[in-house]
Amino acid sequence: MKVGKIIKVSGPLVVAEGMDEANVFDVVQVSDNKLIGEIIEMRGDKASIQVYEETTGIGPGEPVYTTGEPLSVELGPGLVTAMFDGIQRPLESIRAIAGDFLTKGIEMPALDRDKKWHFNPTVKVGDEVGAGDIIGTVEETTVVQHKIMVPPGVSGKVKSIEEGEYTVLDTVCVIEGDKEHSIQMMQKWPVRKGRPYGRKLNPDEPLITGQRVIDTFFPAAKGGTAAVPGPFGSGKTVVQHQLAKWADAEIIVYVGCGERGNEMTDVLMEFPEIKDPRTGESLMMRTILIANTSNMPVAAREASIYTGITIAEYFRDMGYSVAIMADSTSRWAEALREMSGRLEEMPGDEGYPAYLASRAAEFYERAGKVVCLGSDSRVGALTVIGAVSPPGGDISEPVSQATLRIVKVFWGLDASLAYRRHFPAINWLNSYSLYQNKVDEWMDGNIDKEFSENRIKAMALLQEESSLQEIVRLVGRDSLSETDQLKLEASKSIREDFLQQNAFHDEDTYTSLDKQNLMLKMVLAFYEEGRRALGSGVYLSELLDLSVRDRIARAKYLSEDKLSDIQEIIDDITKSMEELISKGGILNA
Amino acid sequence: MYKVAVVGDKDSILGFKALGIDAFPVIDKDEARRIVDTIARDNYGIIFITEQMASLIPETIERYNIETIPAVILIPSNQGTLNIGMDRINKNVEKAVGTNIL
Repeated sequence: MKVGKIIKVSGPLVVAEGMDEANVFDVVQVSDNKLIGEIIEMRGDKASIQVYEETTGIGPGEPVYTTGEPLSVELGPGLVTAMFDGIQRPLESIRAIAGDFLTKGIEMPALDRDKKWHFNPTVKVGDEVGAGDIIGTVEETTVVQHKIMVPPGVSGKVKSIEEGEYTVLDTVCVIEGDKEHSIQMMQKWPVRKGRPYGRKLNPDEPLITGQRVIDTFFPAAKGGTAAVPGPFGSGKTVVQHQLAKWADAEIIVYVGCGERGNEMTDVLMEFPEIKDPRTGESLMMRTILIANTSNMPVAAREASIYTGITIAEYFRDMGYSVAIMADSTSRWAEALREMSGRLEEMPGDEGYPAYLASRAAEFYERAGKVVCLGSDSRVGALTVIGAVSPPGGDISEPVSQATLRIVKVFWGLDASLAYRRHFPAINWLNSYSLYQNKVDEWMDGNIDKEFSENRIKAMALLQEESSLQEIVRLVGRDSLSETDQLKLEASKSIREDFLQQNAFHDEDTYTSLDKQNLMLKMVLAFYEEGRRALGSGVYLSELLDLSVRDRIARAKYLSEDKLSDIQEIIDDITKSMEELISKGGILNA
Repeated sequence: MYKVAVVGDKDSILGFKALGIDAFPVIDKDEARRIVDTIARDNYGIIFITEQMASLIPETIERYNIETIPAVILIPSNQGTLNIGMDRINKNVEKAVGTNIL
């Protein structure tokens, strides 16, 4: 193929001429260092290339080699537990040869070529298979069974297939179709193209995260999209980490995109230690990390999101429920902006390219609950959760707006809540979930038939609280009636005893749905019983002095196997109220 | 028709009976509280209460502050005044008018 020549270098952007044989989005190798780049614009024979590595020391006149292939990721056994950079280079193996930081032009296959995996066929010679059909399985980790699928576009009769130890490049199966296809365990897929699926389904099952404010009030559905916007220090990363730890997905892809390196270190240090409550195995056994921290090349940041979601789609195609967390999509948008600026494109709002919204939509639209390709019509789900870091916490900026237009769940983090040490600082007044109706049906059917009713009651209390607070600010708390003061107390209890959750407490970090249901019942029981007592003449101060209130506040630290204790607290509330009424109430006076 | 009641120690309130007002003599604060709460629900429009007794049950007085009916009015007892009744009136006037015009 013709070799191009560099005529301009501007940061991660390189312009080369003599590239008339290349196509847009082809991967190229820049200079003799073989830096990996991707063509993002063609004008005549001039190609603009975004280079995924440091371009220091490169100058005009140096060669550019075209590979003729789009930017692709390698999909096969060996993905889970690994950590990759934005263009799927395995960071662990690179460290072994290059040290702690990436060196220029280093090349390394994403999947270990030498490691042998035990392949278990699930079809027999002579079976008719089509695209997406599972032909065999590999125990990738103790919790993930990697399913080897027929790649899209291939179908026919199995000519040979055998159990055994294979590397990812060995042929495990031969399929006789219009021509003979040999199938390896590894397949390649271009990152900018969504992987094909059968058909999309409506997401109706909640993604259970163990986070009370999320599961109860603003649930995300499996196969849904969610955004976590919030100013600096409001806890976006902790929310993302909590979701990555506790969400009941079978595979987690965590993309650290332009954020601090230490946050990825946290993941690497914590995840292997934490036991997954469902499998009892280490959380790392289901996690794939993509790291492009803030000091890594900007162009690869743009690619990291696509690399992550393509890997996630691959596992979705196996019929798994996958969740991908991107922290943060604002850095990704800034990478787009930087490239767009260097390309001298006409800027849109705040300098972001005019195509920001369509790129964001393209990314989020790859989420979904789908019937996968293949004859067994298995169902897979891909949930996308993106953090957004609006500067100054003002979500009227373009990235937040472009995101909110697409996603269906909005967890708005609030600096003032974080300042008051209310964590997770998800603002209950402006957050929303458009999956609520669907999830309510599921909760009422699977957890408790009063679940959605209780949730609505609690939310109504919280909303009333905010309007009562305004009156309190104007004329003081004493001017409220006792019923209103009880409302304030009850909503304070919802805030402090239910919504606040300590991510670093052993018991509090994860709350099962059953416990959430009981806890919600408990705080509401105090309000409802209290209102009854007030109605029969009991004084508010007596209500608030009840010792059972301490037990309510401590209920969140009860362990999951002591759920009956919460039921006891509820009984205790009723009992102490009855006592108050019989002692001081009018009815018995 | 609303009724009128008076609550306080026996010596202070007995005279009100002559005016046709229901008198409820009480001795201690628990009894006072219970009597006030009971008659408040029993179609009484005005409840006079002696300042001495009222100072023992501020919570109960507070409770009827924000309700239109019954009006709880503090009166001096036979031992003289504590001035809290007049204070309340002054405060209410200040709240309503903005300045003390009395």
